[in-house]
Amino acid sequence: MLGELFKVDNFSAFVGTFAAFFTVLIAVYSFGFMRGQKGLARYYLYIALTLISSLGAIFANNLVVFVVFWGFLGFLLYLLIEFGNKERTSATARKSLIIVGGTDAFMLLGVALIWLINGSFQMDELAITLDNKFAILAYLLLAIGAFAKAGAMPFHTWIPDMAEDAPTPVTAFLPASLDKLLGIYFLGRISLDIFQMNDAMNMFLMGVGSFTIVAAVMMALVQHDLKRLLGYHAVSQVGYMVLGIGTGNPLGIAGGIFHMLNHAIYKSCLFLSGGAVEKKAGTTDLEKLGGLVKVMPITFITFLIGSLAISGVPPFNGFASKWMIYQGIIELGKNGGGWWIVWLMAAMFGSALTLASFMKLVHAIFLGQPSNERAIAGNKKQEVGITMLFPAVLLAVFCIIFGVFAYAVPLTMFIFPSLNEGVAFDGVWNSGIATTLILLAIVLGAIIYFLGRMAKTRRTESFVGGEFLEKNADMRLSGVEFYNTIQDVGILKFIYRLAGKKLFDIYEVGGKIASGFTATLRFLHNGVLPTYLVWCLLGMLAIFYVVFK
Amino acid sequence: MSDILYLIIYGFVVTALVGFLASWFERKITARLQYRVGPPLLQPVYDIVKLLGKETLVPFGVSKATFLSAPLLGLASVALVSTLLWVNTLNPGKTFIGDLVVVLYLLTIPSMSMMIGGFASRNPLASLGASREMKLILSYELPFLLAVFVPVIKGGFSIKLGELLSFQAQNGVFGGGASGVLAFVVAILCVQAKIGFVPFDVAEAETEISGGLLIEYSGSSLAIFKVMKNMLLCTLPLFLIVIFFGGLRFDGINALYSLLKYIGILFLIIVIKNTNPRVRIDHAVRFFWGPVMVLAILAVVLAFKGL
Repeated sequence: MLGELFKVDNFSAFVGTFAAFFTVLIAVYSFGFMRGQKGLARYYLYIALTLISSLGAIFANNLVVFVVFWGFLGFLLYLLIEFGNKERTSATARKSLIIVGGTDAFMLLGVALIWLINGSFQMDELAITLDNKFAILAYLLLAIGAFAKAGAMPFHTWIPDMAEDAPTPVTAFLPASLDKLLGIYFLGRISLDIFQMNDAMNMFLMGVGSFTIVAAVMMALVQHDLKRLLGYHAVSQVGYMVLGIGTGNPLGIAGGIFHMLNHAIYKSCLFLSGGAVEKKAGTTDLEKLGGLVKVMPITFITFLIGSLAISGVPPFNGFASKWMIYQGIIELGKNGGGWWIVWLMAAMFGSALTLASFMKLVHAIFLGQPSNERAIAGNKKQEVGITMLFPAVLLAVFCIIFGVFAYAVPLTMFIFPSLNEGVAFDGVWNSGIATTLILLAIVLGAIIYFLGRMAKTRRTESFVGGEFLEKNADMRLSGVEFYNTIQDVGILKFIYRLAGKKLFDIYEVGGKIASGFTATLRFLHNGVLPTYLVWCLLGMLAIFYVVFK
Repeated sequence: MSDILYLIIYGFVVTALVGFLASWFERKITARLQYRVGPPLLQPVYDIVKLLGKETLVPFGVSKATFLSAPLLGLASVALVSTLLWVNTLNPGKTFIGDLVVVLYLLTIPSMSMMIGGFASRNPLASLGASREMKLILSYELPFLLAVFVPVIKGGFSIKLGELLSFQAQNGVFGGGASGVLAFVVAILCVQAKIGFVPFDVAEAETEISGGLLIEYSGSSLAIFKVMKNMLLCTLPLFLIVIFFGGLRFDGINALYSLLKYIGILFLIIVIKNTNPRVRIDHAVRFFWGPVMVLAILAVVLAFKGL
């Protein structure tokens, strides 16, 4: 019986291992971050339950069992967000529950349709071709569930809100790592095993992916809050994974799944480093930070490595998986058609936009001048405790290892065994030699330094055209205003204004439509006697008309 | 072991020498155009030697490690990408280190290292310059990518540099067709911005924000940035030659053609530099996202039509 409900294969074993790995890291981190908060016993209970439900969903072989565990996760997410102590925390928790839980209902409908088509809930027995309306509808309904969990557009809006309002470890735990693993795992399952994809559906996936990459990163570019900005990136990166799976060739799919793993690593690293800044400085408002590099040097290094990895700078891990996805896309070009160049441009330009928003973050938090409102005065070194440093450092080390030894470690050990087909690269990337040479080149450059009078550096005032920085407190760029130029270019100005009004937020729009209905009903029942009499009269006239016409 | 030799010989020595010569050539032509005599041949070298002899200043409150390692990162990445390009050009059969995508990503690191250095300076003018550099990258990146993928479309969807080169050896250079010419025009404008030459020198803008992201650099650290920028004068034209004009060969008469290709591209860059005033950053963004983008899309469409 149990054998029918659960099944372990290479793919689920790999995703399950990393789900457990991230849970342990987050639990360790929470010892430091959540210290002194109320209800910690409940907090750790929820974390443990989340892991159990995730493992249940990952190893489930029966779609009903899967949906049950998946549903638990949405509820646990709600409970965990409630540990935040911001003003809007409850509203955000409700929003997340409604989006994630609401899409669970779609999934249930999809599972019912699968029963209608095949009469089976066994995932390993299904191989449905997308040749009739029901099959396509069933795939879309299940994909919506995966999109909402992973945060692809347009079901993403709970992630930036939650990133801002929930406790940082919770954000690093769910939307940044576990929910990505689960959402993309399920998308991979339905696209690779349960359904037989066709070109049109792949096209749909790639469209969603490309749009998600660019739109979310454009929103990230203009954010003022550290955690909210990272939240938008958690959305944008999903685009790469969906795009990779949508290419439909082994190289792109392997790249998409590899990117899922890499994303979980560097995004958790970024959130955990950001959480350390929040813990010390007491705020995540970019206007109120700055110049923390000397105060928190280790956090700066972990954050910088995470930033370089997410921006796809070689030889870090983000580059390795993006490079595979690009090859998967270019592979499509060989079959004719011109859409691949659109997907490729979206993915590669998205990468430049990602670099831009992380340059802004690195400047606003660690480099640049400190804000006058910064909570930590001076430059004295004060790092967070070891329980908060260790997970971030470990993840940063993983960013390097999974990039430099991409082929030997993650690809050979986890990714390739998960796929049924063999993967052959089209391009060339010898990360080992490249890293050796770049290190050597840095050493050679350092020799040039020592040819000069590098050993004797002298400290001076900075030169600002003859003015003195100390006397002019307002002579400071926080970094928040960096991309205002971009924001004002042509049609972007219009789009940003609409986005500011939350016109692209499915929750807000859905809410408006729902309250439109209730407003109509409220108009009918306004409690004024003459109105009711008019309704009675109108009703009577209608009946008379029908009866006596 | 041979990889290390490649790095030292091609990555540093050859690239830097060509870069210094190119820098002298650029300054000499600029001077002649302005009715000045211009510097002697070794002037770029004298500049570096002079800077190495000066003391290195670090502003108060700045992280010395970040501030001083940023130039090294930039130099190392240019050396690596130059090695990659040289080795692949001279032996198209050898697949060395990386492909076209790797080159594109490595070419962003020099700008990135200058930005990190600028940010680390703790100076509002440097921050301003660095933010302009980033906006400039965002503006030219999209047309640049489109232009660079025109050869990929025409060359049978391979991103290996060696295969692009051998395709050109058999079927004529990509820069020969209509789409290739358009793509090359787009790419050279973007290269102008990548080098940071007028009219796209907004990030440094000496007369406006006094050096921008380099404002706090002095002595050896400035010398390294200068070497890096000189090396880019060799690397970026080389990249254009590889993807649009069939690479470089040094056997017999081909050596002369190779020289002409390089000097031609360098000359174009210098002419653009000397005939234009500096643009404002928002104008640069509009320029690259507007007319240049249209040209790039046209080039891609023509390439799909096989022209």
